[in-house]
Amino acid sequence: MTCAASANGRGGANSAQSQISAPHVEIQLLAEQKAIRPGRTLWVGLQFQLPSGWHVYWQNPGDSGEPPKVKWSLPAGLHAGDLQWPAPQRLESPSIVDYGYPDGVLLLAPIRADSTVSPASAVPLQADVRYLVCREICVPGKANVRLSLPVQSGVAAWNADAHALFEKTREQLPKPAPAAWRIRAQSQGNYFVLSIATGKPEGQGVFFPLGPGEIENAALQKASATANGIEIRVQKSDQLLKPIARLRGVVEFGGGRAYEVDALVAASGARGSTK
Amino acid sequence: MNVRRLNLAAGLTTAAILLTAALAVFAARVGETAPDFTATDSNGKTHHLADYRGKYVVLEWHNNGCPYTRKHYESGNMENLQREWTTRGVVWFTVISSAPGQEGYVTAEQENQYMQQMHAAPTAALLDPSGDLGHLYGAKTTPHMFIINPEGVLIYDGAIDNRPTPDASDIPGAVNYVTQALTEAMAGRPVSVPVSQPYGCSVKYAH
Repeated sequence: MTCAASANGRGGANSAQSQISAPHVEIQLLAEQKAIRPGRTLWVGLQFQLPSGWHVYWQNPGDSGEPPKVKWSLPAGLHAGDLQWPAPQRLESPSIVDYGYPDGVLLLAPIRADSTVSPASAVPLQADVRYLVCREICVPGKANVRLSLPVQSGVAAWNADAHALFEKTREQLPKPAPAAWRIRAQSQGNYFVLSIATGKPEGQGVFFPLGPGEIENAALQKASATANGIEIRVQKSDQLLKPIARLRGVVEFGGGRAYEVDALVAASGARGSTK
Repeated sequence: MNVRRLNLAAGLTTAAILLTAALAVFAARVGETAPDFTATDSNGKTHHLADYRGKYVVLEWHNNGCPYTRKHYESGNMENLQREWTTRGVVWFTVISSAPGQEGYVTAEQENQYMQQMHAAPTAALLDPSGDLGHLYGAKTTPHMFIINPEGVLIYDGAIDNRPTPDASDIPGAVNYVTQALTEAMAGRPVSVPVSQPYGCSVKYAH
């Protein structure tokens, strides 16, 4: 059912320092169910397994690095949706903070089948994956992973192992912020102040920006609990020459509770609005 | 940031984070006077930025082991840029901020050998193992490019081009932001992309 590709970074003999030992990166394409059903969505996942100490990147890699990129090759009538990115971690090195996943990640993606797709005993799903893995050094890699599944109507059985793994990964995906929450973003001098009213004091919170070059990734984020939520002060990027209209990203409250944030940025003194 | 307010008992980690934040405040910013510096090159010569007023100065952060740096060197792209612009009177400094023991750290001899091997043609390669120059400019990646105009004002801060990959096949057709900014500035036009997100490996600063 699954196909693993182990990929190594490219060597290059003509550089003055080409002694890069490529880590063993294993990438698997997993399917949650054992068949594709016309008119339904099948979830698949790209599982990156890395040796200890190495990491891959979130969709906004932060100060350095590059997120994995996927190019799907699917039979007619099948359509891949966006990759789902679990909440990342802050990866700190001197003066630089990246956003990513130590030891690997499972990136889920929906594959929607048109209702007109004909039953078949096996159709190929393929993904060309480009990625960068880093520790103290960075090594780029490429892999082609594939999977063959039947197309059938009616019930499709779960791949039990994959289903359990996918369910666990879904818990790590940032959730849409509940409609009852009040989320405000204010521009105050060199800082953005993000206020999130969740209904109870929040002891910790880390903001991960979706857009590059908006905040100073390596600067200390100052989070303080309020009576009904949290206020997070993040320093603006030195590269931010023009005001931004909205601040989008993910806030992680600790214990894996992560939510999507999308707030209009209000000037200092004005009231920020919410979405 | 008032360092004296820092509670010493708060521990080294906090101190390091606050210091990072403090440094960022003084980092170079496009549209403002570029921070002055004195640095030593791989031939032992000292360079003082202020001495180059009247010329365009390019700063190129470099790490010869980084796949993104190698993309632009093994393809000849970076060397061609160095040759083209220094021929036109631009001062081009390759800057190496890798700390001893870190990827990309080189001795002066190693760097001279590397430049000869790669047919690199910067004005000079500045050795910055302490990371002071890197921190002063807020250099984050290799490559990370800065351009200072003849008045000493920073006019570009960011990526070398608009294709953030380690693949040399992405170079043809890419918009080279350094070429674009220098061409525009020399023609008396505003720089259309004065900042961009630099891409590459993190600069391997001392821990």
